[in-house]
Amino acid sequence: MIEVRNFTKHYGDFVAVDDLSFTIGRGEVFGFIGPNGAGKSTTIRFLATLLRPTSGSATIGGHSVVDDPMAVRRVIGFMPDDFGVYDGMKVWEFLDFFAVAYEIPQSYRRKIIGEVLELLDLTHKRDDYVNGLSRGMKQRLCLAKTLVHDPPVLILDEPASGLDPRARLEMKALLNELRGMGKTILVSSHILSELADFCTSIGIIERGKLLAAGSIQDIQRQLRAHRVLKVKVLDSSVDRAASILRDDEGVRQVESYDHTLSAEFEGQDEDMARLLGRLIGEGVTVQSFAEEPLSLEEVFMMITKGIVN
Amino acid sequence: MFLRDNPVLTRELLVNLRSNRAFILLFVYVIFLSAVVYFYWPSGEEGARQVGSGTARRLFELFFLGQFFLVALVAPTFAAGTITGEKERRTYEMLLASPLQPSTILVGKLLSSLSYLILLIFSSLPLMILCFLLGGIMLSEITRAYLVLMLAAGTFGLLSVACSSFFRRTSSALVVSYLVILPLAVVCVLLTRTENTLLRDFISIAVLPPWCLAIWAILAIVIIRRLLRPPDVGSEGEVVVDEEQEMKYAIGVVIDRDLFPDKLFAPAKRTDLMPDGTNPVLDKELRSEIFSQGTLMLRVVIQVSMLLSIPLMAGLLFLRSDKAGYYVAYVLTFNLLVGPVFSSGSITQERERQTMSLLLTTLLRPGKILSAKLLAALRVSTVLTFLLTEQLLLAYFLLHELRGRIWTLGVFLLIIATTCLATSTIGLLYSSLSRRTSAALVLTYMTLLILFVGPIGLGWYLQGFGSITPEQLAAFTVTSPFSAAFSIPMHVTKFQENPNETVEISNAVLVSLYPGMSLPVWTWFLAIYPPLCVILYGVTYLAFRWRWWRAGGLG
Repeated sequence: MIEVRNFTKHYGDFVAVDDLSFTIGRGEVFGFIGPNGAGKSTTIRFLATLLRPTSGSATIGGHSVVDDPMAVRRVIGFMPDDFGVYDGMKVWEFLDFFAVAYEIPQSYRRKIIGEVLELLDLTHKRDDYVNGLSRGMKQRLCLAKTLVHDPPVLILDEPASGLDPRARLEMKALLNELRGMGKTILVSSHILSELADFCTSIGIIERGKLLAAGSIQDIQRQLRAHRVLKVKVLDSSVDRAASILRDDEGVRQVESYDHTLSAEFEGQDEDMARLLGRLIGEGVTVQSFAEEPLSLEEVFMMITKGIVN
Repeated sequence: MFLRDNPVLTRELLVNLRSNRAFILLFVYVIFLSAVVYFYWPSGEEGARQVGSGTARRLFELFFLGQFFLVALVAPTFAAGTITGEKERRTYEMLLASPLQPSTILVGKLLSSLSYLILLIFSSLPLMILCFLLGGIMLSEITRAYLVLMLAAGTFGLLSVACSSFFRRTSSALVVSYLVILPLAVVCVLLTRTENTLLRDFISIAVLPPWCLAIWAILAIVIIRRLLRPPDVGSEGEVVVDEEQEMKYAIGVVIDRDLFPDKLFAPAKRTDLMPDGTNPVLDKELRSEIFSQGTLMLRVVIQVSMLLSIPLMAGLLFLRSDKAGYYVAYVLTFNLLVGPVFSSGSITQERERQTMSLLLTTLLRPGKILSAKLLAALRVSTVLTFLLTEQLLLAYFLLHELRGRIWTLGVFLLIIATTCLATSTIGLLYSSLSRRTSAALVLTYMTLLILFVGPIGLGWYLQGFGSITPEQLAAFTVTSPFSAAFSIPMHVTKFQENPNETVEISNAVLVSLYPGMSLPVWTWFLAIYPPLCVILYGVTYLAFRWRWWRAGGLG
């Protein structure tokens, strides 16, 4: 659905984005992760047809972002990270304005505005002035605006920034609902836990370079060399378990606290099974033995520290 | 604390004077003044004999008037943005929350905005002294002139800062400052330029200073009170203006969208969805955004302009109907001030309010956006300007000698309409070229002054050269609507004295810009501007398309 090929953007001598390429399939939710100033917004603005690239190209729904911006604007709903609202307008007027701007005929508009307000739980705010809304409400209103023309692709730049925890959870639920509606979503954030639950794939960008892209499992697999094993044993066999682990050639480092041992492990699944067999064979009372899944935060920290490359 | 350790003053001076621009501008200004003196300097034997007292007086007058209006025009551009700028940058609350005394803030803001202006004024002193050497002027007169200039700078600066504290946008503060300052400036000039030397000195030395000091004190108290208890600071500085609520407490004129003529520029808000085929941008501009910052600015503008128009109508239309052109000049001045306000923010405000990227990712084409912006601005400024022409219509209806020359009314109205078109188009052009509304507005004013007022000043300067014919002089002024309005022959005899007396009209000066075509100035004016506006609109379109619609301007 979205394909970016060798996108590069320079501002004078400064390279904001360097040779970025990735693909997002139909119905995917792509999380675009990176620290502040990494080039996320630049890439997103390029995809939203607001920025001319220094070099490279991209297509959305088969339309070229550079050569056919109007067709692209028809298929995308874009929510910028920092946006304002018009003064002196009520919520329904604001949505009507954008619905007209997206050439939706009046007969559909009434229905769509009602539906969008319903979806975003703004129906009770229909007659409020937009500049009097709270930040969270404005954020929802802007998302409502991106949905009025029912675009198959949503490009959302930091949709949850500046929101309180409740509004953040609500925004997350909304995005999940949109995913359920089959929309392809590109969402950026520097808050990783926001994305972990519902992204089908992620791209990690730092200093304008894409460090990793793909499904979360794929990326974790790339990092497989650094698995962490958590072994919980009963009281009496802690020391024995620790020495067995230390003896194993795949284990790098062992730490123990209370009855839990944490081991950095290098090896395949078979090696892990063999290690468990050895522990049990030597009479260690293993209560649980599991690989600790890498959280998105850890993946991010490892990648941006340069461990992968 | 006021001057030596004033952080506001230090910061502003540092920012203002850090760039080379300030000094380059100063250099250009001095070079310009030197050129004026150089070309006027009596040459050859005449100069050696020092008989240039007439010349010296003329130069002195030119300098004084030029600098006086420079102060009146430039003081607001520096001072009207001092507090609104803080509001627009959202640093106002931080400033107010600091332990700085409001008086310290005021002194810092005022001095920093006027320091450059005072530098400009004093840079002309050596040239003034040069005129003194020609003879014919007294040193006391030069001192008096500088005293009046300083008083004017202080008063106009404080007035602008006061406006700045009352409004939320620089553009509103600027236009209201101008509207208050320009009549004051004209009155001040009239008072200090009487032929009676004694009266003139008395006014300049004994009357103006105490009055000015009193005005300064009152303005300072008003501003400090507003800084101490700011009524307009809310969440992120955003305030929802409830029109109905505001109308309840409005003093004087009330704007009612359902009544004529208010509905001409402010159509009622929609109660239902827009019909298909509506230009949404035009609809939004006229119905929603026009009063988004409240109606205060428009109400002040309408009331002040109406109030001023009454004595002018009496003097220039009913007592001396041959001066009708001067009444038109007042209407034109009003449009010159107000027209740019509505258009120069059209595009920059979308950017400043961060709605540009929302607008640009819709299916609206740049032509549609721009035409809506131009039409909305043009409509508001034209309706407001034409409100002032009802006095003109009344005079033509009531006065017999004017009714006989009804065609001149048509020409006057055409000149006013063309001026409205020009001010809006030029404002829109700068709005698409600038990054900030305040910059766009100031550039628009500068351009309009050069086109509209500059030629008249140049003509006045060149009158001193005997070798230039009136036709050549008039040819310089075809870009000025003022000159166009004055060029319409209005010498009519009074009906009461002798009904049968033939109407005596002086011949208009004909200008030949194109070989074989000798036409009066107003014809040239009306012929030049419409195509010029089309060209400027084309440039605006290209600039908008290139800078915003498909470009990296937002990056």
